[in-house]
Amino acid sequence: MNRQLWTHRFGWPLLAGALLYSLHDVGLLDAGRLQRGLHNALVFARGLLPPDWSVLPTVAGAIGETVQIAFAGTALGFLLALPAALAASSIVTGPAVAAAIRLLLALIRTVPALLWAIVFVVAVGLGPAAGTLGVAMYTLGYLGKLYAEAFDGVDPEVLEAVRGTGVGRLQLARYAILPETANSLVSQLLFMFEYNVRASSILGFVGAGGIGYYLLGYLQTLRYASLTAALLVTLVVVILIDQASATLRARLLLTTPGGR
Amino acid sequence: MATAECAQHPSTCAADDPARAVSTRDLWFWYERGRPVLQGVNFAAPAGAVTMVLGVSGSGKTTLLKLIKGLLTPRRGELHVLGRYVPAGTARADIDAQVAYIPQQLGLVRSLSVLDNALIGALPRLGTVRSLLHLIPRRELERAHTTLATLGIAHKAAERAFFLSGGERQRVAIARAMLQQPRLIVADEFLSQLDAVTSAEIMTLMRAIVAQGVTLVMSTHELELVPRYADRVVVLREGRVVLDCPVVDTTTAELARAIKP
Repeated sequence: MNRQLWTHRFGWPLLAGALLYSLHDVGLLDAGRLQRGLHNALVFARGLLPPDWSVLPTVAGAIGETVQIAFAGTALGFLLALPAALAASSIVTGPAVAAAIRLLLALIRTVPALLWAIVFVVAVGLGPAAGTLGVAMYTLGYLGKLYAEAFDGVDPEVLEAVRGTGVGRLQLARYAILPETANSLVSQLLFMFEYNVRASSILGFVGAGGIGYYLLGYLQTLRYASLTAALLVTLVVVILIDQASATLRARLLLTTPGGR
Repeated sequence: MATAECAQHPSTCAADDPARAVSTRDLWFWYERGRPVLQGVNFAAPAGAVTMVLGVSGSGKTTLLKLIKGLLTPRRGELHVLGRYVPAGTARADIDAQVAYIPQQLGLVRSLSVLDNALIGALPRLGTVRSLLHLIPRRELERAHTTLATLGIAHKAAERAFFLSGGERQRVAIARAMLQQPRLIVADEFLSQLDAVTSAEIMTLMRAIVAQGVTLVMSTHELELVPRYADRVVVLREGRVVLDCPVVDTTTAELARAIKP
């Protein structure tokens, strides 16, 4: 039986069966439950409006802290990621060391920022310090990988020409690899900051500072109108930062050398 | 054998003769086993002269020049560069700062200024810490500015390489090579993207550099440059030398036949 026929006769029915089984197992084929869920959702939706703006001073301070966590965490992560990525680039350190550092970065990346935040809450206690360190670790894992890939993608002819002058590896990094990749490094850093602002907004769920603490608190105490105000403020700040960062990145990539 | 005679007929001299900046004997190279790119090349470049290497794409020109520069190591055979024997094998060759290399696309760092691109040639003399902090000694800066002025590009010293024209970029690559204070410059089809007038200007500059005692080994597709600027010419075909003689002993028609019969 050829592969196409096999897919038609057995493949699709198997896939559909697996989907139905999964939906049933997670409880989404339970009509009574779905009906109750819909009712609860309507109650929840009615409670969300109108937003309770009396919480604005508290929420504004908390979103400020969230942005600070994202900013400081991204900056710390960047400072760690740059040397780590140079070490993870086979051009700079050679294939064996590069592979080992890449593995380490992959392990760091496997753990999401929220879990890193829990680890640091245990280490340094509740508050934004733990969140900042959590964001820094996740940034290290991510930017380290992206930067190492950018370094390995530098035009080999530029590397040959500069290496051919007799410079060492650090000089090669300083005068060829970093300048050739500078724009994409900054672009990826801005993108990471955007991502970290969004990620930092839930760090408060685990006591690691920022708006998340209030989002969870309002939800758990059924203060849905306050929750709406906090969510809208978060939304506006995230959109503003996204837009500013995207504009900066577009300008970097389109109007300056080495950005293609 | 007398040095002057060696310069005229290098292939008859001893391998480490000072009159020869580069010499090879039965030189082999392959990227993939069983598919040799250079097949027993015997080749010599007299010191203080211009040797042009000709051949169609894929004839082995770039590989030969990279071997001379030390970016590749010979698989088999003998290679002498500036009197130094380069052993065959798989180990990475030493990079000799006295051998400057200008690749086909020039290899300029696009976001660095003209001055910084040129100064890359001086970095090995500065030491790691000083160069990482970009603490360039005054004499190196003066040397760089003088070199850029000689090459007619001093007025663009602060401009980023990305914004330069083809001819200007060529001059920056030559400045970088000159700041290495090389005894040998290896240039791989570095004129290929220039118009005839600019090519002639650049070659006039290169001849002036050679007049100071520097050796130039360059590959090119432009046959018309050979009689005007070369002292010696070598033609490669499918990784083998099919013609190797002083320029005065050949004609453009003969070269064209040797390149593509």
